[in-house]
Order: sequence, then C-alpha cells, then structure tokens
Amino acid sequence: MPTVVPLFEAKRFAVHDGPGVRTVLFVKGCPLRCRWCHNPEGQQSQPELAYYEHKCRQCGECVAVCPQGAHAMADGRHVFNRAACIGCGACEEVCLGRALKLMGRPVTVEQARQIVLEDCEFYADGGGVTLSGGEPLLYPDFCAELFTRLKADGIHCALDTCGAVGWECFERVLPHTDMFLYDVKHADQARHCQYTGLSNRQIVENLKRLAQCGVPVEIRIPVIPGFNDDPVSVRALGLLLHGLPSIVAVRLLPYHQAHSKYEAIGCPDHMPDADTPTPARMAAIAAQLAESSGQTLR
Amino acid sequence: MIATGTLEQDKAYLWSKFKDPVFDPDTGLDSETIKANVLKLAEELKHLPHPVVKARAFEYVARHVRIDVNPHDWFVAFGCYDRWNRPLDGLVAKWDREVDDTRLTTLQLMQNLKQSGACGMGKDFDHSVPDWDALFALGFPGIRQRARSYRRRRQDSGQLTPEAEAYFDGIEITYTAILDMLGRFRDHALKHADGDERVLACAACLDSLIQGPPTNTYEVLQLIYLYFMISEYVDRLQVRSLGNLDRTVYPYYRKDLQEGRYTEAQIREFFAYFMMQFASIANPWGHPFYFGGTRRDGQSEINELSYLILDEFDKLDICSPKLQLKISPNTPTEFIDKAVDIIRRGRNSMVFLCEPSIKRAMMGYGATEEEARTCDITGCYEFVPRARGNTTIVAYLNMLKPLELALYDGVDPFAGIDLGCRTGGLDAIRTFDDLHAAYLKQLGHIIESAIRCANDFEQHLNFINPTNAYSATIENSLATARDAFHDGSIYNISSILTAGFATAVDAMMAVREFVFEKQELSLQQLKDVLRDNWKGHEKLRLRMLQGRSKYGNGIDAVDFYAETLSRFLGNKINMRPNGRGGFYLASMHTPPRYYLTHGQKTGATPDGRLAGEEISRNISPTMGMDINGVTALIRSATRMDSALHPADFPLDVMLHPATVEGDEGLVAMRTLLNAYMQRHGIAIQFNVFDADTLIDAQSNPDKYRGLQVRVCGWNVHFTDLSRKEQDMFIRRAQNISG
Ligand code: SF4
Ligand code: SF4
Repeated sequence: MPTVVPLFEAKRFAVHDGPGVRTVLFVKGCPLRCRWCHNPEGQQSQPELAYYEHKCRQCGECVAVCPQGAHAMADGRHVFNRAACIGCGACEEVCLGRALKLMGRPVTVEQARQIVLEDCEFYADGGGVTLSGGEPLLYPDFCAELFTRLKADGIHCALDTCGAVGWECFERVLPHTDMFLYDVKHADQARHCQYTGLSNRQIVENLKRLAQCGVPVEIRIPVIPGFNDDPVSVRALGLLLHGLPSIVAVRLLPYHQAHSKYEAIGCPDHMPDADTPTPARMAAIAAQLAESSGQTLR
Repeated sequence: MIATGTLEQDKAYLWSKFKDPVFDPDTGLDSETIKANVLKLAEELKHLPHPVVKARAFEYVARHVRIDVNPHDWFVAFGCYDRWNRPLDGLVAKWDREVDDTRLTTLQLMQNLKQSGACGMGKDFDHSVPDWDALFALGFPGIRQRARSYRRRRQDSGQLTPEAEAYFDGIEITYTAILDMLGRFRDHALKHADGDERVLACAACLDSLIQGPPTNTYEVLQLIYLYFMISEYVDRLQVRSLGNLDRTVYPYYRKDLQEGRYTEAQIREFFAYFMMQFASIANPWGHPFYFGGTRRDGQSEINELSYLILDEFDKLDICSPKLQLKISPNTPTEFIDKAVDIIRRGRNSMVFLCEPSIKRAMMGYGATEEEARTCDITGCYEFVPRARGNTTIVAYLNMLKPLELALYDGVDPFAGIDLGCRTGGLDAIRTFDDLHAAYLKQLGHIIESAIRCANDFEQHLNFINPTNAYSATIENSLATARDAFHDGSIYNISSILTAGFATAVDAMMAVREFVFEKQELSLQQLKDVLRDNWKGHEKLRLRMLQGRSKYGNGIDAVDFYAETLSRFLGNKINMRPNGRGGFYLASMHTPPRYYLTHGQKTGATPDGRLAGEEISRNISPTMGMDINGVTALIRSATRMDSALHPADFPLDVMLHPATVEGDEGLVAMRTLLNAYMQRHGIAIQFNVFDADTLIDAQSNPDKYRGLQVRVCGWNVHFTDLSRKEQDMFIRRAQNISG
C-alpha cells in the first residue's frame, strides 16, 4: 500500500518558505486551531469543498452531478448545503464559474515527487521542496519516504511544522530533512492554549530537542495583533529562543486577514478584525525580538 | 562649467520639446512650407536618381528647418519634431505610390491578406541601427571622407556605374548638408548665447563635431542625438537602437574623469538630459538602448558606467528610453539585481535578452560566433549582427485565421474574402489530424502569399526611400555601393511576425478536446456556434474557455502541439530568399497593434474567445489562461526551440508585486531569468502588476485567472479574494509604485 496524504495545494515558485525558489506542498490536517490561521482549509484532514460565492455564475451545472444533492437552484440562485457534501470533487470539474474547488486530494509519495521534480530547474539558487500544511508531521512516514526519494534526486528538503506532534515523528524525518521551518506562537502556555486550542508545552520541548540535532532551523513567528505583538509577549518569545543552537534565522510573518478563505469552506472566522501590521511596526518588533533572543532576524 | 539651470527647472522645457516647442521664425521656414517646397524641388529634379533627389530634399530641409539651442537643454532642437508630419513624408509617399501603381503585381493579394485579417503587411522603414562605432570613430566629417575614398576606389577600378555614382552623390550631399546644419546650430548658439555658459558649451560641442569625431562624453551623446534626429526626422529612417551605450561611451567617460574634463556629477547630468529627450518624444514603441554583452575575452561588458546610466534612469522615473539588458552567465549579479529592483517598483520598460540563446539562434542562420556575440539589440527585443545586418518586418501573421479558413474552405468569414486555398471544408475533416492538416495547409498558404507580396514590394525599398544617412555608416554598403537598408548589408533580413500563437494552440486543443475526444458537439455545430458568436451557448463557451488544454500551463500534450506549430513556422519561413538579396526569418514577436487589430478581424474561436476580442501576443499565453504559475509558463514557452525563431522569441511574465518583495524577491526574479536562459529562452520581460492592473483585474476576473498573490506561507488567486481583500492589495500596490 503506498502512503497517501490529502494535499490541498501545490504552490510553485514560492520564495518566502525556505531558501531559494521552492515548491511548497500543503497537506491537510492540523492539531492546532489558531484563531488567525490563514490556511483554514488545511485544518481538517478530510476533503472539503471550497465555494467562492462571488464567482458563482448561477449556471446550475453542479446540481446534476452531485451524488449527495448538496447543490440546488432556488429561484434561479444557487444554494449549497455544505452539511450534505462528502467532498467527492465531482462538482469542481463542471463548475462554470470556477467557484468550486475541492481542498484535499489524495496523493502518493511518487505523485508528490513528480510535482516537485517538474520545477527542478528553478531550484538552482538553493531552492527545493517545502512540506507544509496543515501539519505534515501528522504523516511522518509520507514525509520521510518523500524526502528520501527527493534527496536521491538532489533536491533540498525543508519541513514546515507547528511542532505539536510526538517527538517520534521528528525522529522519523530527521535523517532526511535538510531544514526545518518551525512555527512558534507564544511563550505563555495559557495564552497559547486560549488562542490555538493546545498548550505549547510539547512544541517548546520539541524545539529544544530539535535544536540539539544539528539540522538548521528557521523560526517563524506570526505577528498577531492583540495576541503576541505586545512587548511582554515579544520579550518572552525572545527569551524562549535565546541561546538555542541550530537556529539559522527568525522570520516574522505579518498577520493577513484570510476571511474569504474561511467563508469559502464555511468555517467561522473567530479572529477579531485586525489590520496587517505595518512594515514599521514589523521592524520595531523585529528589533525587540533580536535583542531579547540574540538571534538573527529576517 | 556652470550649468544654467537644474534638471528640475528645465523639465518643463524638456517635456514640451516634442509636443509644442517654440521656435524663432527667423531661424527658418514653417514645416508646411518646407513640405511643399520639398515636393516642388523633387518635381524639378525628377530626372535624377532617387538617392540624389532625396539628398537634395534633405539638404533643403537641413538649410531651412527652424532650429534652437536652448539654455534649458544640453541638446539642440529641430523644428521638424513631429513624427507624424516629417518633412520628407510627402516625397517618400509619392515614390511609394508610384511603386504601388506601376511596379507591383501582388497588390490585390496583399490587400486581401490585410483586409481579411490573415496577415498584416507593409514596407518597413522603422528598424535601422547605424554603425555607432564607426560614427564615434569617424564623426560626421570622417563618415563623409570614408565614403569619398570608397567612391575614389571604385572610380579608379572603373566600376563607378551611374547607379554607384548616384549612391555616392546621395551620401556626399547628405553629409555635407549635415555638416552645414551643425554649422547653423553652432552659429545660432553663438549669436544667441547671451553669455549663457550652457549654450556656449553646446556651440563648442557642435564646432568640434563639425571638425571631426567626438572627443568627450558630451560630444558623443550630442552626436547620438543628432544622428537619431537627422535619420529619423529628416532622412525618414527610424533609428531603432541608440546602441550599446555602456560599452560605446565608456572610453570617453573614463578619459573625461581621468583628465578632469568633467566630474561624475556632470556626466550624470548629460545622461539625464540625454534620456529626457527620448522620454519627451514619448512614442509608444519607446527608443531603446542596451546594456551589457560579452567582450572578446569572455568578460562582461558591464562597467561603472552601466551602473551610472541605470541609476540616472531610475531617478528620472520615465518609461522611454526602453532599456534592454544583454545577459549571460557572466553578467554581474549585482547589476541584474539593480535592474530587477527597478522593475519590481513598477517600471516595466526593461527587457532581458539571453546571449547564449541568441548565439544559438544567430549561428543557426549563418552568423559567425563573433557576429552573434556582438549583435545589436534593436526595436522591442530583436537582435541583428552589429553594423552588418538590417531587418525589416514585412508581415504579421494572424495564427487564428487559418483555423477559420479551414472551417470555411479558404474563404474568410470576416470580410468574405477568398484567400484561394481549398482544403475541402468540413466534409474533409473527420479527425483532429484532418483539421490539423487543413490548418497547416491554410497557414502555409498565407505564408506563401505573404512572401510573394513581400518579395514583390521589397525589391523597391531603395527606390521608395534611399537611406543615404544610414548607408554611409555601413562599411559593406560603401564597398558594394548598395543601399544598406536594401541589399547593401551583409545580412539583409526580412522578418515575419506572428500574433495569436497561444490562442491558436488553445483553439486547436479545444476542438480536439470537445469535438473529437469528448464529442460534446460536432464540428458543424461548433462552426455554427462560432458564427453566431456563442449566442445562446454561453455554458458551452465557458466550458471551452475553461477547458484543461491551455497553453502556458506546462501540460505535455498542449506544449507538444505548440512546439509542432512553432516548428512549422520556423521550417516554412527561415532562410527563404527575400526580394532584396537576403532571406526571411521567423519571429514570435507581436507588436501591440496586431494582437488587437487581428483580434478585431477574427470571429469567435473555439478556445471560448468572443468575436473581436484580442488574441495572444509573443510566446505568452492567452490572457488569463495560465493558471499554473510562472514556472509552468516558462516550461511551456521554452519547450519550443527558440532557435527556430531567430528574428525574435519574447515572453512576457506577469508578477504580483508582493511576490517579488524583499531580498527573496530579487533571488526569485534572478532564478526565473536563469532558468529561462538555461532553457534557451531569448527575450523576457517582467511586468509587475501595478495598482491600475489590479483594479482592472477586479472588474475583469476572467482575464486574470492566473494572477496569484503570494506572501509568506500562503498563496491565493487574486480573483478568489473578496472585494475588500482585493482592495487591500490594490492599496499596497499603490504604495509600492509610489
Ligand atoms: S464535492 Fe461532491 S459531494 Fe460535495 S458538493 Fe461537490 S459533488 Fe457534491
Ligand atoms: S456550477 Fe459553479 S457557477 Fe454554476 S451554479 Fe454551481 S457553483 Fe455556481
């Protein structure tokens, strides 16, 4: 049986997710439920149908093909009953507005490898593949197997993780991974739990162990207004990172509203309205963090 | 030397220099009088050969056109500044008509090709590049002197035929008139300087150019500008490259700094005013010069001056001159990054040309390695052996028309014109292969017809417009006493361009998918639906529009078909003898006009396009059809062999500004360039979307389906975003492009 994972996106020519130009494979399923999550379609592991209502042309093509009767036309308007949808993807094919997109199609290791290899000529400047999600370490065998093959192809392999998995998952992929992108959100357990649904204990422990393994780690911190952008939180994050070896850089990711993505998959967006932090604000936080962590900021 | 005014103070003058300049009427005649007198003069001289008549007309203009040497400028001003009303227009038009009326046998055929929208055609006097090195080394008097010695040689060997005599007379009269005109400028400057140091400096510069070759940076730039104006506005032959400026001007720049003649700041100022001339002319096609190249020893030509010029261009915030960068693995990364950084701030008037791929293409038609290495970049993104080749564009193929002709058995459904090739209509088309064969036969027939027409009219280029000023700069022309823009160059190249290449691929693939594979409708039904412009079949249209087989997405079967079509074009066109002793080359370039006008003359097409809509350009995908991103696009485009299109092979790449932010953005753009170069791509132009384009995308989402917004960790198609979120990105783009 080949190892199969649900993939919701292959992002080519990615330039901010690891060194050089990369292909990022986003797998579905994540142990966290961060309120600000900008890839909400990556949270559930089962397939979900995204419906972009503003693109619907009211053509009704979807109605006929759905085995579940999830689509209907009422008074000339298209209505989608999400509860009935089983995510088979049949309606995406016929949609005339490109308003429907199935998130999460099963791919085998070999299929994933082929996707990555298609762009191998663009990886020259240190680029390669990044497995992201969701949380790729929910599928450690897939990750290890894919990386083993891609490394034989000479491709640089990076893994973007939230860290909220058992250490044995890291152990499974460590020998095959060239770099980790490690997401850290908050140093305070309670606050972390409140905003992501889980405590940060395991995340912090895994990070400390990972840092001892000698594989380069880039820390990625989403800067979320009202959650971790205050001086106390920033300083605490800095202290958490202070003195950790193997950290090649710390990158701050400014918060971006992803409301249309939530709407598309019919998932409530609990993030209070907030603006993207300005470049000046980002620079100020970066300076604070550089000072307290002693690490290089990107 | 003290400058009279600052650039900021002089900008008002410079911007109006080619729009509504003011000339002292005492300096000459108004342009209507000149035009009328030119025609009178030509009538009096009509017994003389054309090079002489034209030279006399040139001389008349040089003596009588109004002039100015203005304290607000380092460069002189010509009273014939209007590109659409040049003093010799009437004369050339008269000779052109004469050829049409009495000499051409293919006029009706050409008319048919043009009217049906199958192929645009025309006599081209818009693509000359003089031998700048010769002009610099010899100056105007030296060019005349060199022509005299070629004439003497010919005379001594008894080969001065009447035709050769006319050729040399034309040059002699033209260059003497040029020197006299420079004298007019100088004397005017001296008379009106009123102590203004800049005007006096200009007078001294002109005096030096009358005496001999240019001796410093200012004189060299003045010479380029003078030659440009003289050829384009007086001699009526467009100059399509100001040359390899960083290479050609560099020795003067070094010398000026070493000898303390000018400071770096002064040289920057000269370049700023120089570039402002072309910004002010503001023709939509832009006036290009290029950077870089490779020296004989394999080192890059990029030097300090390259950086200086780019810097000044950046500061001016103008979109003409159009800059071209010849790149190869030896080009300093720092320089590429500097250029890329300017582009990503929304300045899209820059294009990269890959030297190794140019070399493959040029050597494939017989150019030597040296000729390929030192080729000039000209026009939009063409390339030609420096000082040894001319290129004309004679035909612009509409790649969709052969499909219409295949469906209508050779009779164009747009204008009802019979183009004369029978492929049997629908009865003869039972499989996709049949359609493909009929398409190629119709396409081949159009190409043959276009070549017949071009062979016919190109025999008369030197009759219609003898190019005295240009020919004198080209050594092979002097040696053969033949017009350099006709058959007097070593390479006399006519190129055949295409429009709608990607749209044609999409259309053919859509027929294959929907008619022959899925059998959703018959070919007859499709033909009817297209004739009715999809009326009543909007769902079908959308399905065919969104079919999976669109060029530019890295899809094997589609790319293979594109490759097949491109090969057919190359095989059919390249190296065919033209009407003036040279040969044809195939080009994938599409000038802006033609993707619109050909589109207007083309009915609805099976790719889901509505009648009259624009078609694709260059080797770029149909707008909005590349939804797999830029890497897939580059893979698709470079699956074709660029060497089969040695007249040009340009790709446009659209990028969202957020994709190319920061250091990573620079790396990303460089990576794209390198990959394109490694895959033998030739020309590539990045368009970083500006706010206006994003606003357009908001209201026309179908055209921008491929537009992706990407920032760290996420990625979304712009058209998937809600209006509010789109607005946010528009605001951001507004901030980036300032
Ligand atoms: S994905 Fe399948 S089940 Fe869900 S709406 Fe579409 S056709 Fe119906
Ligand atoms: S097929 Fe697509 S466009 Fe048509 S009604 Fe369904 S969702 Fe809307």
